[in-house]
Amino acid sequence: MSVGAIGILGVIGLLALIFLRVPIGLALATSGLLGYAAIDGWATALKMFGTVPFTLASAYSLSVIPLFILMGAVASRANMAKELFDAANGLFSGVRGALANATIGSCALFGAICGSSIATAATFSRVAIPEMRRHGYDSAFAAGAVASAGTLDVLIPPSVLLAIYAIAAEQSLPKLYAAAFIPGFVLAALYVLAVFAVAWVRPAWVPRVAAMKLKERLVAAIGMWKLAVLFFFAVFGIYLGWFSPTEAAAVAAFAAIVIAFGTSAMSWRGLVDALLETVYTTAAIFFIVVGAFIFSRFIVLTRFPNELVTWVQAAGLAPFSILFAVMALYLLLGTFLDEVSTILITVPVTLPLVTGIGYDGVWFGIFVTVMCTIGLISPPTGMTVFVIQAQHPDIPVARIYRGTLPFLAADFVLVALLVALPGMVYWLPNVLRMM
Amino acid sequence: MKDWHETGADPRDWRGTAAKVCGWAAAAFLAAMMLLTVADVALRALLNTPIRGVVELVELCLACTFFLALPASFLRSEHLVVDVIDGLAPRRVPLLKRASGVLAVIVLAVLGWQSWLVAQDSIAFGDVTSDLALPRILYWIPVLTGIIGSGIAALAMLLRRDGRA
Repeated sequence: MSVGAIGILGVIGLLALIFLRVPIGLALATSGLLGYAAIDGWATALKMFGTVPFTLASAYSLSVIPLFILMGAVASRANMAKELFDAANGLFSGVRGALANATIGSCALFGAICGSSIATAATFSRVAIPEMRRHGYDSAFAAGAVASAGTLDVLIPPSVLLAIYAIAAEQSLPKLYAAAFIPGFVLAALYVLAVFAVAWVRPAWVPRVAAMKLKERLVAAIGMWKLAVLFFFAVFGIYLGWFSPTEAAAVAAFAAIVIAFGTSAMSWRGLVDALLETVYTTAAIFFIVVGAFIFSRFIVLTRFPNELVTWVQAAGLAPFSILFAVMALYLLLGTFLDEVSTILITVPVTLPLVTGIGYDGVWFGIFVTVMCTIGLISPPTGMTVFVIQAQHPDIPVARIYRGTLPFLAADFVLVALLVALPGMVYWLPNVLRMM
Repeated sequence: MKDWHETGADPRDWRGTAAKVCGWAAAAFLAAMMLLTVADVALRALLNTPIRGVVELVELCLACTFFLALPASFLRSEHLVVDVIDGLAPRRVPLLKRASGVLAVIVLAVLGWQSWLVAQDSIAFGDVTSDLALPRILYWIPVLTGIIGSGIAALAMLLRRDGRA
């Protein structure tokens, strides 16, 4: 059997194992080991297998992941979401759709700090949806707004998913964070425009709420200082040259703990729970990372990515059609795979393909991350939609999906902008003299 | 799509206690990793005396955090699973869970065996880290503990008497 055929069989075997309910990390490790052995023999394959776990014991760059998760776990427990929502509400107060836009603004900042779309959606599902429904918002639209806004964390720095992409694609994390800034906030702005569009087309879904008084708005605005401090340490600390990404994550996690205790917003029990939640989540993610390391060694051995690039170049396919195929692949995977697995499984193949048509690893990181935000709200397995439905069982899943449609359209507008104006990704890294 | 806590160990039996112990040990190393990094940043900024070999110590803490938590994630059934098949063939699900449990035990046994062989080489050559000259075997201890512990955890979950895999 040719090496190429083994490569294709390996990918099919991986997907079959995943479909048969084998944990994703285990499926990656198994298909990677068997594929490697089929090409290079069992002796070499087993040697490779035995060395992979140790690479995780000497990977300083990976330490950024649990530290950012810890910061988010503490922020989630310290009532920061409610204060931020009130502050954002004060900012938008008086305009039609103020509560929905406050949800988007606060999810963008809280999600960035929290780092988990699921946790952000779960938190704001409790904070924002009851408030919107109380003021007469359409329940499907309110739930759709939270489900969609909950995915903004994937793109806005400090994003855990971008940190994972940086490891899988061997890219600089500070450069990726700088590159994600403009697209991240453009996406948040597009979501705000989507709210205004819905308010214009279906005013009954988005009733006008009485404006808050100036004093109330100022008081509410002060409430966002905690997350502003964390954001400053976690993101600006890197660009001011104070910290490396790992140091920024450690300082921000420490600051979150100090703020939470200093404002009596968290108990010792809460801290222990946050630490435990972090280590369990880290173990689940890193197990996939170990599997992905093993699988990617097999993929490299097959030379499948190089042959795919050669084939694509020989076939003379237009770059746009290749990009379209890559987009279709991510939309398909997004329907059943989580975003971490999607990135770790696909990047070894798709990155060479996309760089072969003139894009680079930084642009692709942002592109692939946006595609993952779409996967988080697209049927049949939009995770944030399920999280919200679990907390609001009276809103049917199909109606929540309908509520996400305006925001899904905004996601696709951003994808189109990224393709048409790739400069929006490079502008900030260029200003910061990183490119 | 995700299988969080779906069939995790009962917190009242020994598996639940073992998961908690693993979680607490990993959490202690995570806290150490954070405090060490913050102390390094503070000492560097205030006294211009960073902690020597902090990268090596953070790597050791990271290895302990991940590998000590790994058996807990088997005991708590927290690994990511795609459960599309649950809706298509619900009666096959218990069998598939059992089969993936068997696969987990085999893969972790092979991984533990091969990692042990590489670790033996590390001992034989007397590998040390470049900055603090820490013996590399220190890093292998959490790696091997985590892999072997996860194999035992996967086996314990497979052999549960109530038949849940």
